[in-house]
Amino acid sequence: MRPVAHGAGGETETGIGERGAMDGYDTGPDARHGPDGPADADTRTGVAALSPRYQVGAALALAVVAVTVCVHIGMTFLHVAPANTVTKRHGRAIEEWIYPEFEQNWKLFAPNPLQQNVAVEVRAELRTADGGIRTTGWYGLSAQDGRAIDGNPVPSHTQQNELRRAWDFYVATHDSGNRPVGVRGSLSEAYLRRIAVMRLDRAGASRPGDVLDRVQFRSRATAVTPPRWSGERLTDRSETRELPWWRVPADEAEGGVA
Amino acid sequence: MNDVALSVSRGIARVTGAALGPYQTAVVRIGFAATWLLFLLRELPHRHELYGPDGPWSWSLAERLIDGNGAFSLLMLTDGRLWFEAVYALAVLSAAALLLGWRTRAASALFMTGVLSLQNRSVFMGDGGDNVLHLMSVYLVFTRCARVWSLDARRARRTEAARARGERVPDRLGPVLWVVLGIALAVVTLPGRLGSEWFVPMLLWTLWLAQALWWVVERRAKGGEPRILLDVIANTAHNGALLVIMAEACLIYATAGWYKVQGSRWQDGTAVYYPLHLDYFSPWPALGDLLSFSGTMVMLITYGTVAVQVAFPFTLFNRRVKNVLLAAMMTEHAVIAVVLGLPFFSLAMIAADAVFLPTSFLRRVGDGAARRWGRSVRRGDRVAGGDADVDADAQAEAGSEAGSEAGSEAGSEAEAGSGSGDGDGRGAGQAHVGSGA
Repeated sequence: MRPVAHGAGGETETGIGERGAMDGYDTGPDARHGPDGPADADTRTGVAALSPRYQVGAALALAVVAVTVCVHIGMTFLHVAPANTVTKRHGRAIEEWIYPEFEQNWKLFAPNPLQQNVAVEVRAELRTADGGIRTTGWYGLSAQDGRAIDGNPVPSHTQQNELRRAWDFYVATHDSGNRPVGVRGSLSEAYLRRIAVMRLDRAGASRPGDVLDRVQFRSRATAVTPPRWSGERLTDRSETRELPWWRVPADEAEGGVA
Repeated sequence: MNDVALSVSRGIARVTGAALGPYQTAVVRIGFAATWLLFLLRELPHRHELYGPDGPWSWSLAERLIDGNGAFSLLMLTDGRLWFEAVYALAVLSAAALLLGWRTRAASALFMTGVLSLQNRSVFMGDGGDNVLHLMSVYLVFTRCARVWSLDARRARRTEAARARGERVPDRLGPVLWVVLGIALAVVTLPGRLGSEWFVPMLLWTLWLAQALWWVVERRAKGGEPRILLDVIANTAHNGALLVIMAEACLIYATAGWYKVQGSRWQDGTAVYYPLHLDYFSPWPALGDLLSFSGTMVMLITYGTVAVQVAFPFTLFNRRVKNVLLAAMMTEHAVIAVVLGLPFFSLAMIAADAVFLPTSFLRRVGDGAARRWGRSVRRGDRVAGGDADVDADAQAEAGSEAGSEAGSEAGSEAEAGSGSGDGDGRGAGQAHVGSGA
């Protein structure tokens, strides 16, 4: 066993604390004994090598880093922790520190994993060249995503996240009567509408001369069949939701969505 | 009381005297840079749909959202198509530069800029993997993550060797890069052009100024105190950021684990079955069926997942247990990559886990890679320093031959100690232990 100079330091235990120069790994012609960085092997490094005047600067830097690190870890902890006495009292300060760049959510498949497949479908109402109105059938957008993901070792975010998260966004920003809650509600409607326009265009929903006038979404959530060995009985109730028709602005209808 | 004072001063000497965990930070750097690079290349055909001005999450929708939250994104400067392509290209190139450790501090700043610009532009396109990458791209900026396994480390060695031979090695590219980036930064952060949040622009300006300071001090005061002070500050910042990276990884697992404990499906042992049967996370349905064939199996994996996630932060106090759990978590993420169709999420999580890998293991991996690489490169590149070459090889052998974990640890510590001139005699003492192992 190697001697440890001072107790069992946490860093050493985790394998992080090894004081490492770089040699040994590189067998190239330049490999040589010595530190790889700009530090000189002969000079003493760290605060010990500094005169008191400069040690003040080092101490200041150390203090700033130590305080910042502690506050950041503490704030991040409070941000991911459930609502509690401290977060209720200092919620504002925590948000100020965390948002926008340190926002995070690690409830990965927790507290319970999603147990239903949500099938999102869309249909369109088109003004035909002869002045008539035509309503298309339903296009299964989630089903398209599912097919694109099947057998795909590297699914794209456009297939795995785009519609799924846009739908979650909509659900989170609307009440059960499809009324938007806050500014984000209208953002989510515009987002879904643009996804619909893009997907309908790709699916060739409109014939030459048709103008896309309105779109409508609906969803059907089906519970995942419980495993055979669980002995659970599926309640076999799929929930459906139908959104109102949304008018498509002219610029979007003319292919304004990439 | 004396003991306390002594260990405090030892601690201070440690965190100011060296950038700790050089191999761990290097592997984290390489891991996240590779994840983002592969992701960007994979999404190349979909880039307009994801982040482009006319994508479904259009530029004006993003503008309305960012007006509210002040997130940083270069893409919000203008909705031009060319600008978008330029930012995407910047993201790709900075990821490549960071991966290789080329001008690493600048590369890491650009990497962060690219990650934030694209992700903040279309925040609803991301998932957990993007979230980890987002945070780590900021933390990496503060680290000296190119001390090993990088082009910068190689350049530093060559410069050092040339200086030892009495040659002058001017760095022409550095100042040019600095001026170019300064102009770009000025153009981009002109008052009012980028949201209300000051954090990211200020961070970039600080880095830019620090580079200049470093350069001036390096020229004026060779080996003097100002130079050492800068080194102390850089080491302290690095070690702080390393601690934050480790704490972040622990928070991820703790959160994921503790919230699961409360879920009925994680309690009744069926939870793992469900994601395997979601259309969005089952690229290989047959594989999911196979994995969930046995209820006992699913229950064991379900309980095992929760136990490992909850336990992980506590196992850091015991090296062996920590390593076992680390292997389990990396394996689980590798399985998730395939079975749930989340390769980039898994890669990002494995990169985060890698910060806890033991130095001895990382060195062995590095040695293996270097030897394989060396064989192909050395022939065309052989110049002076043949004896150092042999020496390094011998050390690598010593490291990999030591059978037991403890033995190889001692071996690597010896190399590290003898190389860095520890100053308190520990290095020399351990070198003996190392050669004995």
